[in-house]
Amino acid sequence: MTPLIEANRVSRTLADPEPFTLVCDASLSVAPGEMVAIVGPSGCGKSSLLYLLGLLDRPTSGSISIDGRVTEDLGEAERTHIRLERIGYVFQFHFLLPELTALANVALPMRRLARLTGDQIAERAAALLEKVGLGDGAGKRPERMSGGERQRVAIARALANDPAILLSDEPTGNLDSANTRMVIAEFQRLAHEEGRGVVCVTHDATVAAAADRRIHMLDGRIVAGD
Amino acid sequence: MKGLMVLLDVAAAHLLMRVRQTVVAVAGVGVGVGFFLAVSGMMIGSQNDFIKTLIDSAPHIVASDEQRSAARQPALDAFPQAAVTVRGVRPQDEVRGLKDWPALLADARAIPGAVAAPTLVGAVAVRFAGRTEAVSLNGIDPRIEGKLAKIEESLIGGRLIDLEARPDGIIVTRPMADRLGAHVGDTLVVSSSAGTLQRMRIVALVDPDARAGFYAGDIAGYGLLRTAQVLFARPNVVNQIHVRLPNPQTAERDAARLEARWGYKWVSWEERSRDILNLLVVRDVIMYAVISAILVVASFGIYTAVSNSVADKRRDIAILRAMGFTERDVQVIFLAEGLAVGLIGVLVGFGLGTLLLEALSHAPLTMGGKPLVLPLDRGLRQYAVAGGASLVAALIAAWLPARKAASVDPVEILRGAA
Repeated sequence: MTPLIEANRVSRTLADPEPFTLVCDASLSVAPGEMVAIVGPSGCGKSSLLYLLGLLDRPTSGSISIDGRVTEDLGEAERTHIRLERIGYVFQFHFLLPELTALANVALPMRRLARLTGDQIAERAAALLEKVGLGDGAGKRPERMSGGERQRVAIARALANDPAILLSDEPTGNLDSANTRMVIAEFQRLAHEEGRGVVCVTHDATVAAAADRRIHMLDGRIVAGD
Repeated sequence: MKGLMVLLDVAAAHLLMRVRQTVVAVAGVGVGVGFFLAVSGMMIGSQNDFIKTLIDSAPHIVASDEQRSAARQPALDAFPQAAVTVRGVRPQDEVRGLKDWPALLADARAIPGAVAAPTLVGAVAVRFAGRTEAVSLNGIDPRIEGKLAKIEESLIGGRLIDLEARPDGIIVTRPMADRLGAHVGDTLVVSSSAGTLQRMRIVALVDPDARAGFYAGDIAGYGLLRTAQVLFARPNVVNQIHVRLPNPQTAERDAARLEARWGYKWVSWEERSRDILNLLVVRDVIMYAVISAILVVASFGIYTAVSNSVADKRRDIAILRAMGFTERDVQVIFLAEGLAVGLIGVLVGFGLGTLLLEALSHAPLTMGGKPLVLPLDRGLRQYAVAGGASLVAALIAAWLPARKAASVDPVEILRGAA
């Protein structure tokens, strides 16, 4: 089976102001239906690796393939399109657009992809909110939601274009234990029931324990994995 | 463009969340456009009124018995390729007056819709009650001259056609009559350089304040053509042909064509008023420079609004980019914000400008004790210029911050937020 993500000896070095290696020689692969946690101390390069895997950043060396497609030589437009279509992001801070309702936030990626009609988009956005337990909150703006609700909207938005890959950066960092359990359960369901590849950067031992595999990083390197 | 509506919706959401700043930016553009319309309306209105007066005050083309340069020597025409020098040439004394003027007149009248009249102009001295004044007497055909310029509307005390009823009639200007102490009905003694003396009765006065668009100066006087010919002892001679065209804008072209054919000097109203028209161009440049500055200042408001929006929305930009929105998408969002502010501002400005023009048209102004109605230009052209210039300024003002927004590195923002 082709891995959803395959990173091969990926490094990322900042040249300015002084040379600094964020990620060094990292190799990993994520298969469909797999939930992988990347763990390690702060500043070890977890988030940097996630941005590389999600095509938000380009490696200084090494290669990353998404769905078996090598991405180094792709132009920015193609990489952006892959992000739009194949990758969903969930961050520690929900990053919902404060001007838009929950429904409008979830609809954003679908409207940009423009594969569905307006009615279909509204229907799917409502269904996604329902799925994360926010069926009643579709018309709410982020300012009127709790932290857990916002994060659930962010998950629904990440799933809007039905991506094969879900990348999350400290998704439970701002959540209480009940919401943390809800997020973990949702990630597991997305991986195990829907066959998506879920990569989760986390400090949270509960999240790490819930993952199928854990990758440990230190000083930019992958030092262990199970 | 695929997915454009979502970009416009995000832009609209940004603007609506920053109502106060959006309103200030819209007001800036609105005031700029409104005052642009009011100022340009006054300036162009007065200019058009002035040019109309220039056109109406005299015939569109005047042919006179002068030549722009001495006639070419026959030897030069006989040997066009040769090096010919003609020495000791003295131009022949020409008999004054237009030769074969009926043919010239017929040619001028051949222009569709044109009216042309023969005129004999000469200097005379008029005497009344011991006072003497110099007058430039125009011997005219009153039936045709009335169609050439708005002289009839400027007359007081009589009509142009009265000259036909009284061949010894003369029309002088009111200031001239005031200087002589004469009134309509008084008889002046008129003497010409030919030594002829004639008593002529004032049948009407030209009023310089009539604002009918006609006034040829204080010393102009009008009499019958045949009376002038007798006075100047030049029977059947005319030295000017006055032409009025259906379209004054063709005067320069028609004058050049007639001059090329007949040799005499045919002067269009544009050539006659060249210095004034050049001044008007300079005035236009100054006007547009000043009122464009208003629009540029208004665009600073847009720049500030969009810049602040970009600064506030860096995280949103980063997440949009992470979601799969392109750099161009981000640029379009902020350009649309600037354009929307500009567009709403332009519409507000159109309303304000229209109100200001309306107020100016009813302003209780007087000149010389008489009510003065400001000539205002309310043409669509000014609206188009103001609207177009404002939208271009808005786009430029928004483009700089939009470009900055597009260049935001999402990783840098996300890393900072983590």
